Amino acid sequence: MSVTIDRRTALKLGLGTAGSTFLGDLAFAQAKDAVTIGWPSDVPSWDPNQRFTPDAQPIFKLVFDQPLDQNEKLDLIPKLITKWELAADGLSMTVELRDDVTFHNGDKMTAEDFRYTFFERIKAGHKVDTANSWRKVTDIEVTSPTKAVMKFNSPAPTAPQWLAFLGSFMVPKAYMEKVGVEPFREKPVGTGPYKLVEYQLNSRIVLERNDSYWGPKPKLKRITFDIVKDPSARVAAIQSGQVDLTINVPVREVERLKREPTLAAEINPITRVILLQVRNDLGFEDANVRLAAHHAIDKAALSKAFYGGAAVPLSVVATPGTAAYLPDFKFEYSPDMAKAALAKAGFSPEKPAKIKFAATNGHFPSDYDIARAIQQMWQKVGIEAELETIEYAKYFELNRGAKLPEATLYSWDNATGDPEIFTGYLLSPKMPFSAWKGMDVGQKVLDLFEIADYNKRIEGYRALNKIAVEAGATIPLLQSVVTVVRKKTLNYAKYENGWVLASSMDWS
Amino acid sequence: MTSILSLIARRIFVSVAILVIVSALLFCILRRLPVDPAAMSLPPNATLAEIEAKRHEMGLDLPLFRQYLIWLGQVAYGDLGISIHFRRGVAGLITSTLPATIELAVLAMLIAGALGIAGGLFMFHVRGTAREAVADAGSIALLSLPEFLWGLFFILLFGVALELLPFTGRLSSGFERPVITGFLLLDTLLMRRLDMFWDALKHMILPSLALGLAFSPTIMRVLRSSLIDVYQEDYIHQARLRGLSERRILVHHALKNAILPTLSLMGVQFGFLFGGTLLIEVIYSYPGLGNLMVDAVRNADLPIIQAVGLAYCVVVLAINTVVDALYVVLNPKLRVT
Repeated sequence: MSVTIDRRTALKLGLGTAGSTFLGDLAFAQAKDAVTIGWPSDVPSWDPNQRFTPDAQPIFKLVFDQPLDQNEKLDLIPKLITKWELAADGLSMTVELRDDVTFHNGDKMTAEDFRYTFFERIKAGHKVDTANSWRKVTDIEVTSPTKAVMKFNSPAPTAPQWLAFLGSFMVPKAYMEKVGVEPFREKPVGTGPYKLVEYQLNSRIVLERNDSYWGPKPKLKRITFDIVKDPSARVAAIQSGQVDLTINVPVREVERLKREPTLAAEINPITRVILLQVRNDLGFEDANVRLAAHHAIDKAALSKAFYGGAAVPLSVVATPGTAAYLPDFKFEYSPDMAKAALAKAGFSPEKPAKIKFAATNGHFPSDYDIARAIQQMWQKVGIEAELETIEYAKYFELNRGAKLPEATLYSWDNATGDPEIFTGYLLSPKMPFSAWKGMDVGQKVLDLFEIADYNKRIEGYRALNKIAVEAGATIPLLQSVVTVVRKKTLNYAKYENGWVLASSMDWS
Repeated sequence: MTSILSLIARRIFVSVAILVIVSALLFCILRRLPVDPAAMSLPPNATLAEIEAKRHEMGLDLPLFRQYLIWLGQVAYGDLGISIHFRRGVAGLITSTLPATIELAVLAMLIAGALGIAGGLFMFHVRGTAREAVADAGSIALLSLPEFLWGLFFILLFGVALELLPFTGRLSSGFERPVITGFLLLDTLLMRRLDMFWDALKHMILPSLALGLAFSPTIMRVLRSSLIDVYQEDYIHQARLRGLSERRILVHHALKNAILPTLSLMGVQFGFLFGGTLLIEVIYSYPGLGNLMVDAVRNADLPIIQAVGLAYCVVVLAINTVVDALYVVLNPKLRVT
C-alpha cells in the first residue's frame, strides 16, 4: 500500500497541525438536523410585505406562509387558502382559508388577518410594496372566520398567481396592531414552518423549526443563513465546508466544483428571462432594424460562452414549461437575414444603423460581457451600437421617464411563470416595466389584462408572444440559470423558478 | 494637561466646522446625482403621480439650501433620515454596524502598528548590510498588494486549503451574539464568555490581518527613515560617548523621537484603513459599516450613503484628535506651560 501526499496535503499537514494547536479545531461539520446556507443577500426587513425582493422570497417562505403556493413544476397549489374562485368578470375572488393555522405567538389565523394583510394595512398607509401589487383591491369582505371575498376595481385575472408571488405573505393583524410595524420587524411573527431566533443585519439569519406548524414538518431543525455577498467568498465557503449549500456562484466555478468528491454542483434553468427591451422609436423606429438586430444575435453562442451552454436560447418571452411557451416557434439566427432586413431599411455594414444600447454591469451574471458580445454581432451585420452602462437602481427611473435607449439588456424574473407577468408586464405601454410603447402590440396586451378566463387568457398570450417577436417589439435571448453547489449528502427540491427552500432539505 | 485639554477643545471646534462643510458637500453632491430618491422609495410599478407625491413628502421639491437646513436640523436631533432600501431609521442602522467596523479597524491598526514597528526596526537594523535589499524588496512587495488581494489570499490559504480559520461573519453558528455595547470582543469579555471571545477573535484575525498587512509597509519605511535621521543627531553621538549600549540608545533615545512622525502617519493611515474596510467587509461577510455602504451604493440609498460618509468623517476626525493629543504627550516641546 502506498500513500501519496501532494503539495496541498503536505501544506495542510504542516501548517494545519501547527495552526490547529494554536487555534483549536474548527467545527465545520454540521449536525444532521441542521444546515448552513451561504446566501448572496440579506432580507430588506422582516416585514415580508414591505419590499419586492426575489432573492428574499425563499427566506420569507420559511417564516411566513403565502395564501397560495407553487409546487416544483410551478402549478398553483393550496396553502393557507384551500379553495379559490375568480369570478367570470375577474372583479372578485372568493377564498376559503384553513381553520387549523396558528401564528408563532399562538394566535389563530382567520380571514381577518387576510383582510388586514391585503387591504387594511395598505389603506392604513403602511409603506409596503404590496400596496402596488394589490392596488386594484377595493375591499375584502369577511363572510366567516375562514371565508372572504376580494373585490377589485378592474379585472384581476392574475390575482391567484399574485397570492403566491412577491410580498404576498400573511401577517398577524392582532399582533401587528398591538406592537406596531417597527417592533414587528424586530420580532416577526408568521405562520411558517420556522421561527426567527437570531438575526444580524448583513451577516446571519438563524431559524428554528416551528414544531407546532400546521403543515408538513420540515426535516431540519435549525437553518442558518450566512449572508455572503462576494461570489468568490461563497465558493471558498462551500469548498472549506463552512456552509453546506450555496447559490449563484460563477458558472466556471460550477464546472470546477463538480470535480470535488464531496460536492454536487448544478446549473439549473429558471423562470427568469434575459432579453433586450426595445423602443419603437428613435433608431429602432423601422421594424426592419429591430428584426435585423434580433436575427444577428447568436443566442446559442452566448449561452455557451457565458453560461456553459446551460441557458436555453429563447424565441419568446417565456421559459420552457410555462403556460405560454411556444416550443415549435423559433426565431432564426441568420446574419444574412439580418443584412437583408437592414438593406430594406437602407442600411449596410458600410452604412450602419446607429443606435444606443444600455446594459447593467454585475446585476446578473456576465451581463456586460453579453452586451459587448451582442455589440460585436451587430457590428458584423451593420448596426453600430454605442454601449453604455446603467445602474440597475436607475433602470426603472429611466424607463419611467422614457429615457432608455433603443435597446437595453435586461433580466426579468417571474417566479409564477404566468404569461401576464412575462409578456404582459414587459409590453404593456401603461406599465413602467416596458420600453415598448407601440399600441399595435400594446393594445393586445391591454385587452388580455381584461380576460379572466384562464384558458382563453393563456391562448391569447401564446398568440401574442409570437406576434410581439415578429413585430420586433421584444428580443428574448436566454433563459437564465441559478447555480447551486451543495454537499453531496444534502438533498433539496428543485423548483423550476429557482427557489431553493430549506424546508425541503434533508441529509442522506 | 491644560495644553492637551485646550488642544482637544480646539480640535473639537474645528472638527464640528469640518463636519458641517463635509456634510454640506456630501448633501449637494448626492442631490446632484442622476438618481431620484422619491422614485427609488416606491415599487417599480408606482405611477408618476405617486412619485410626485412622494417627492413632495420628502421635501425634494424645495430649494437645495432649504433641504440641507432641514436635514441638518434633523441630524442635530439624531435623526439621519429613513433608508430607501430598508425603510427604517438610518441612525439605527449606523449604530448597529459602526462598532463592528471600529473594532475591525482598531485590531487591524494594532496589527499594522506591530508589524510596521517590528519591520521598521528590522529594516533599520539591517541597513548597510546585504539583507537591506531583501528587506527593502519585501516591504515594497507588501506595499504593492492591496488589502482585498490579501483578503482573498488569506481565505484561500487559511480558510480553504488549511481550514484553520473562519472567514464569514463575526461569530460561529451556535453562539448567540450578545448585544451590550456592540463591540463584540468587549461584550463577550463583559459576559465572561472566553469561548465566545476566542471565537469572535478568530473571525476577526483574517480580515484584520489583511487590512493590517496592507498598511504596515508604510509604517515600516517611515520608521526606518526617522530612525536614520535621528541617528544623525548629536545626542545619539553623545549617548555613545557616554558608553550607553546600542540597545539602550535605540529604545530610550532614538525610538522615542523617531516614533513621533510614525504616530502622525498612523493617524492619517487610520483614515485610509477605515475606508479599506469597505471591500474587506464584503469579502469576509463582516456586518459592519462598509458592508452597509456597499449595499447603499448598489441600491442608490442616499440617506445611508450620506450618513455613512459622515460617520467615516467623524471617526477619522476623532482618531486624528487622539493622535494629536498623544503627540503632545510624547513630545515635550509641544507642551505649553
